[in-house]
Amino acid sequence: MKHCITIVAALTLLVSCTGIPQTTVQTDKVPSVFPDYTNVVIPSNIAPLNFRIEEEGKKYVTVITGGADKAVIGGQKVEIPPRKWRKIKQHGLIGIQVFVMDDDSRWHSYRPFSMSVSEDEIDPYISYRVIPVAVESYQNLSIRQRNLTNFREKVIFANTMVQTNADGACINCHSYRDYSTDNMLFHVRQYKGGTVMVLDGKLHKVNMKTDHTLSAGVYPSWHPTHDYIALSNNRTHQSVHSASHDKLEVLDDISDLILYDIKNNTVSVIENDSSELENYPNWSADGRKLYYVSYRYDGNYGDKRKNEMFLSREDFHFNLYSKPFDPDTKTWGPTKLEFDAAARDSSITWPRVSPDGRWLLACISTHGVFPLDQIVSDYIMFDLENGSYRYPDELNSPFAESFHSWSSNGRWVMFSTRREDGVHTRLYFSHMDENGRFSKPFALPQRDPDFNREFLYAFNIPEFMKEPVHITPRQFASFISGTDATPAKYETKKGE
Amino acid sequence: MAAILWCVLVLKEQFFLYKVEDLSVFLFDKLFIAECLKTPGGFLGLAGSFLTQFLHLPWLGALLWVLLLLIAYQLTIRVFNLPENRRPLALIPVALLIIGNMSLGYGVFLMRSQDHFFAPVLGYLISLIPLSAAGRMKALWSKILFLAVWTTAGFALFGTFAFTGAIVCGCATLVNSGLPRRERITVPVSALILSLLVPLVIYSAYTSYKLTDSWIMGLPSISSDSWTHAMRAPFQLSLLCQILLALGTGLKSSGQDDSTKSIITRSLTYIAAIAMVWGFWYRDCNFHTELEMSYAVDRYDWNHVIKTYQKAVDSHKKADEKAFESRSRKIESARSNDEIDEIVERYSSRFFEPTRSMILYRDLALLKTNRALKEAFTMKDGSRMQNSRTQIPMAWQSGKQLYFQYGLVNMCYRWCLEDVIEHNWSFSTLRYMTMHSVIMQEPDLAEKYISKLEKTIFYRKWARSQRTLKSDRDAMAAAAPYKSVLPYMCFENRMSNDMIKTEAYLINHFMEEEPELATPEYDRAALLIAMRIQDINRFWERLRYYINSNHVRELPRSVQEAMILYSSLRKTQLDYPLDEQVRRGYDSFNQYVSSHSIRSMKEASYPFCQRFGKTFYYYYYFMRDLNTY
Repeated sequence: MKHCITIVAALTLLVSCTGIPQTTVQTDKVPSVFPDYTNVVIPSNIAPLNFRIEEEGKKYVTVITGGADKAVIGGQKVEIPPRKWRKIKQHGLIGIQVFVMDDDSRWHSYRPFSMSVSEDEIDPYISYRVIPVAVESYQNLSIRQRNLTNFREKVIFANTMVQTNADGACINCHSYRDYSTDNMLFHVRQYKGGTVMVLDGKLHKVNMKTDHTLSAGVYPSWHPTHDYIALSNNRTHQSVHSASHDKLEVLDDISDLILYDIKNNTVSVIENDSSELENYPNWSADGRKLYYVSYRYDGNYGDKRKNEMFLSREDFHFNLYSKPFDPDTKTWGPTKLEFDAAARDSSITWPRVSPDGRWLLACISTHGVFPLDQIVSDYIMFDLENGSYRYPDELNSPFAESFHSWSSNGRWVMFSTRREDGVHTRLYFSHMDENGRFSKPFALPQRDPDFNREFLYAFNIPEFMKEPVHITPRQFASFISGTDATPAKYETKKGE
Repeated sequence: MAAILWCVLVLKEQFFLYKVEDLSVFLFDKLFIAECLKTPGGFLGLAGSFLTQFLHLPWLGALLWVLLLLIAYQLTIRVFNLPENRRPLALIPVALLIIGNMSLGYGVFLMRSQDHFFAPVLGYLISLIPLSAAGRMKALWSKILFLAVWTTAGFALFGTFAFTGAIVCGCATLVNSGLPRRERITVPVSALILSLLVPLVIYSAYTSYKLTDSWIMGLPSISSDSWTHAMRAPFQLSLLCQILLALGTGLKSSGQDDSTKSIITRSLTYIAAIAMVWGFWYRDCNFHTELEMSYAVDRYDWNHVIKTYQKAVDSHKKADEKAFESRSRKIESARSNDEIDEIVERYSSRFFEPTRSMILYRDLALLKTNRALKEAFTMKDGSRMQNSRTQIPMAWQSGKQLYFQYGLVNMCYRWCLEDVIEHNWSFSTLRYMTMHSVIMQEPDLAEKYISKLEKTIFYRKWARSQRTLKSDRDAMAAAAPYKSVLPYMCFENRMSNDMIKTEAYLINHFMEEEPELATPEYDRAALLIAMRIQDINRFWERLRYYINSNHVRELPRSVQEAMILYSSLRKTQLDYPLDEQVRRGYDSFNQYVSSHSIRSMKEASYPFCQRFGKTFYYYYYFMRDLNTY
């Protein structure tokens, strides 16, 4: 309320200014804008939140105020000059009033809305994979980095730089150690394949597939204190829904967990129970526990396994487990069931622990392991201090919510969602307070507010970074093309 | 000659031109333009895509292309200063440009570059620029500077054509005896060095291609490795012609030469160029029939689909008769069974046989007009493989259309997505993605595609018409094509994958799904497919469903023929009162079979077809082991 009074007062003072309609008809509603940036909490170092006014009209004027600073912008597309944006957001509260002229040349003033500027900064860089919405083909993938303080986006690496017509190369699962790009990885599949790792700024390519493990590493999680990476091994399949708003179903007919020892270039098994489909490892903040999800499947192991799994897909309820780990001795403790999703006819995936170790945010769906392609996928949040959990409706939408990432200070969450059209995944941010409550999410700002609607590619695997990736795409390309992957050695078998 | 070419294109290749346009895209859209410019040669690609959209009106698109070819011919003469007696040489690169496009055939479905029809001729024209521009510069340094700027900016805008231009300029300078020796060496060496070095230097600015592909940027690309070199060769040869012509500018011309020898040489060059075009021009009846049927399917003009099919069958009747007579003569004089087999095999390609795409388009049209069970088996069938360098899966060619029309809209959407990744966006995929979102009532998604199509010249109106349907189910259900697709969407959702075999997937779908609320349309399609796969148990099962849902009083003749044949094969009693003509027809078929010895089904196929080609018996015995793709 206090905020509203301040905004109205500031805007009243401005009414007499040039360019702002003097006589207006009051409209008791907040204007519809795209992306929906009304009443959101934003970080102080974010780029201008440009938007389009979604109200019918002949002319548009938008007044953006912060303290004594203001910007008056004409037109349906509100593109805020970066310099003015920087000044306005310094004041902590941004007021926005929209005026729209109707066909009879009368100005309508809409109820002002605000953007609260949080004192919690956001990491200045993010990276994501830009991918055509697809089923099996992967001709045109790129991992890109975006400076959140402006609109600059650069390609980190694109598969078009190495693959040939006959030999495609899929790239995926980019991941950073402690938000730093001096230690990072991503996988290249098939042509010139291997896990491309940057270790202390130097490039390496490793083949994590051994004779004793199922596949190369897939979903990674860097150990917070030691030189280990936990990864899943997956044999993934896709199938098309013949008549449903969900288009695709993705499942693994086998999956395990492995630990990659960076220093020794060895792979050891964490979990490889043939009846369990273990997946999505994620370390606790202190690195003494590994969270993961798993589902017990006792079905056929023959040729029909995959088809049977697709038929019984709705029974696939993944639970959340944890496993204690001593990083110094590299030993594992007994598995513990953390959340029995199956008992709730649900399936939990993508657990990710906040940097302070208190919160665990995960995807929850009716079934399955791949929330991206399930309209019903939402988030569930656990308070690891007291073991409670809740469904953060602030974040959830009627469409699929999937991969998410915590900022390095644990105050921001970035997540991918299909809320805009049901198919194209877009990135949204939300601020979390000390009680674990999220603010209304807002879309990744773009220079052109129509970008999200116009862009026909999807974003996935969004990750925060403290700094940009310094290795150039050309360096990556020439390294990947010219280097064979070093085979990782198999260290131990489980139980040995 | 240009007028003749234009007439041939408009009269004989209009559906090919339409398909080229349908599989291309040009949007008046910032993101689209920015995306195109991210690759060297992007501007050329944009210009090519812009012009390709006019093939939507084949007469207009063909006119633009022919005009550009004419300009290429004239400019070649002017830039290389070809004397009268050498002018026919200018026809050779133009002929190669024509061959490049018109020899493509089924390759059109695999093209990755949306600009491939116009970009090569535009690139050809662009590569003539440096020679004419540098010719106007006097100082050596200005020529070098020009070449440096040209290769750098030109590579970004026009791709490899910039380098060809520089090399052509260098070659012409090398052989120009009127220039100082220093210049004759420096310019070509600079052109060569710049053409080699610029891509290496400029590569860091791009992330969209491999370094080793630098010297082919801007040339058309295709998603088949085995086809790539053959597809690009004519275009590359046309550029080689420029280099040879540039080197030839140093040859002394004998000036005006009207001697008989010269006239003969010129005439022969013209004839050679024309013969070359004629020889490489892709002419295949099945391909052209498929294109016309596809065009009609996109317009839901089902009668046009059926007529096109019938026209193709009828047009081959005489040729088939001749082939049969010729084959019979050869067989009569054959001395052994092996020789007969060899003759039959050799002649098999001379008889007309449709492709599976043609059959599936035809059956679809017959189903949509409720004529399938009456007429499908009275028409010629077959499974001729594509006359193509590689077999193009039906999924790439007609998958989207067939899946959509049979109500498998998610599978249609899936192939649109795959097509986008493998072969880039196209008007076709945008349209089918829109229709998918409209029929699934996903308004936000539909809006995404509608807003793109609104930024086109020829699909704007159609896109706007879809906006009114995207969230109004009743209006959608009453509008074409949705009205005729919805009845097929009566099945339960299930997981499936077509493994790139469209026909097999359709068969499995209709044979495995038994919707509780099956519509008459669905049951008609299921019965048709049960008859197609010659599965006796499925036939009886689907016939029961068909009779129940369609409230049939009198069964179509082909169905009765299947009933009498299957009862006889299974030795079961048939309760249904069959038409007397059907009984007589079956008896006559049996009599014919017993009175004629059949050495091989392949050999007997034609004479049997002449007599019983419109019966289900013929289909059952002679249309077996059909290939699909």
